[in-house]
Amino acid sequence: MKKISEWCMYCGECAGVCPRSLIEVHETDLIFNEENCKDCKLCIQVCPVHALIKEE
Amino acid sequence: MKLIETDVLVIGAGPAGSSAAKHAARGGADVLMIDRKSEIGSPKRCAEGVSKEGLKKLGIEPSPRWIAKELSNVRLVAPDGTDVKLNEETVKLPEAGYILERKVFDKHMAMDAAREGAKIMVKTLAKDLKREDDSLVVTAERMGETFQIKAKIVIGADGPESRIGRFAGLKTAAKPKNMESAAQFEMGGVELEDPNSLEFYFGSVAPGGYAWIFPKGEDIANVGLGVLATETDKSAYQHLMEFVENCPATRNAQAVELNVGGDPVGGMNKKLVTDNLLVVGDAAGHVNPLTGGGINTALEAGLYAGEVAAAAVKEGDFSKKRLEEYQKLCEENIGKSFDKYLKAKEYLLSLSDEELDEVAKAFQNVKLDNINTKELIKLLVKVSPKALVKLGKIF
Ligand SMILES: Cc1cc2nc3c(=O)[nH]c(=O)nc-3n(C[C@H](O)[C@H](O)[C@H](O)COP(=O)(O)OP(=O)(O)OC[C@H]3O[C@@H](n4cnc5c(N)ncnc54)[C@H](O)[C@@H]3O)c2cc1C
Ligand code: SF4
Ligand code: SF4
Repeated sequence: MKKISEWCMYCGECAGVCPRSLIEVHETDLIFNEENCKDCKLCIQVCPVHALIKEE
Repeated sequence: MKLIETDVLVIGAGPAGSSAAKHAARGGADVLMIDRKSEIGSPKRCAEGVSKEGLKKLGIEPSPRWIAKELSNVRLVAPDGTDVKLNEETVKLPEAGYILERKVFDKHMAMDAAREGAKIMVKTLAKDLKREDDSLVVTAERMGETFQIKAKIVIGADGPESRIGRFAGLKTAAKPKNMESAAQFEMGGVELEDPNSLEFYFGSVAPGGYAWIFPKGEDIANVGLGVLATETDKSAYQHLMEFVENCPATRNAQAVELNVGGDPVGGMNKKLVTDNLLVVGDAAGHVNPLTGGGINTALEAGLYAGEVAAAAVKEGDFSKKRLEEYQKLCEENIGKSFDKYLKAKEYLLSLSDEELDEVAKAFQNVKLDNINTKELIKLLVKVSPKALVKLGKIF
């Protein structure tokens, strides 16, 4: 599971690199389809403000 | 569920979408454009530099409402502070000309589309897309209401997220090594050496990219940088904080806005069309791989997309084969020029801070008005034989 920090700016860069297209970006929300997530962490890596945090 | 029918559905109302909607409507098609934002153009994800020539070529009349500043100089700064100054007379600069007020510009472009007859829905998110007979049906959500939009042609202009193309099977996802992570402050109190100069800072200030200062006024500027997440463990924001603290121009400046976002710099996508669908703008990789600039190309590609879509609607043929005319137009007019920018970028990013300093120093002593490619290469050889080896691989 990924925790979305309060400082996420909903820019959508994470969604752009997700190889499985699992991130739906709303104006002030992100919805992850975690069921199909392969935990590649690319979304976490590219975030310009490191707003995504992996939670076990 | 409510169903809306249209000839052309444009998803995303950035420069790419608005241009596509305008030209599709002008060509006689019924056009609907949707954007998930409550305010088109905001928040901006952009340093707002645009080519004057490029706008003129597309017949876009400049308006004082959305031009923050006109400028014609460029200052390239090496890691040790050595700088090279260029101006429009000596070199052709791809993104120089105007600094926009994009929050106004993007709205203006959308209104232009509306004037041609396009309908617009804001705060409307496209969630899904499926094929039905010879059309596409998009599930959309607006203010708590879910409904469907059936279109003969969908134009995916959804920016760096590029999910619309993927819904239809195109490979539009960017690899992290091709996606700049960018962060920027709009600042006041910037101590600019020359308020008429775009400034670019190279080297380890921005691993995998560069830092910029684009003036919007005498002491106002967009100060930002792009990095590749594959080249650094710090976030773009952390790099930006360090840059602002260390750069003489921004040490005493104050931020009034923070912008972040992705910029796909891997070059144009191989496939831009499939049956009933085209992608345009950032979603199609229509971004100059060297500068990261994508406004002009988004507008230009939008024009091709809109015209081809309108013609296809008239002919009643929405097949991939018919839409490939758009692909060809993009390859000829946009993709080709990107190849050389991609090579120049690879070269630039291959240089160490020391090599960049040496290159900048060598440029101090030449008159730039009469330098040609051969002399340029000779100069680079003199500076650093190592740099030559890298250059040899590229040219
Ligand atoms: C920090 C930064 C600085 C930049 N500086 C410059 C510069 O100085 N000069 C330059 O030329 N370029 C610059 N660029 C690049 C430029 O901003 C983009 O190339 C340009 O905005 C692309 O336009 P577009 O219409 O393709 O996409 P966008 O402008 O990103 O528009 C896409 C739109 O689609 C909407 N959308 C996305 N998904 C959906 C959905 N599912 N449903 C509904 N709506 C959706 C979004 O809300 C958005 O409004 C910069 C980029 C960054 C990140
Ligand atoms: S990249 Fe980061 S800031 Fe942007 S939407 Fe994703 S989590 Fe939020
Ligand atoms: S970890 Fe990988 S697969 Fe999972 S959401 Fe992030 S980018 Fe997508």
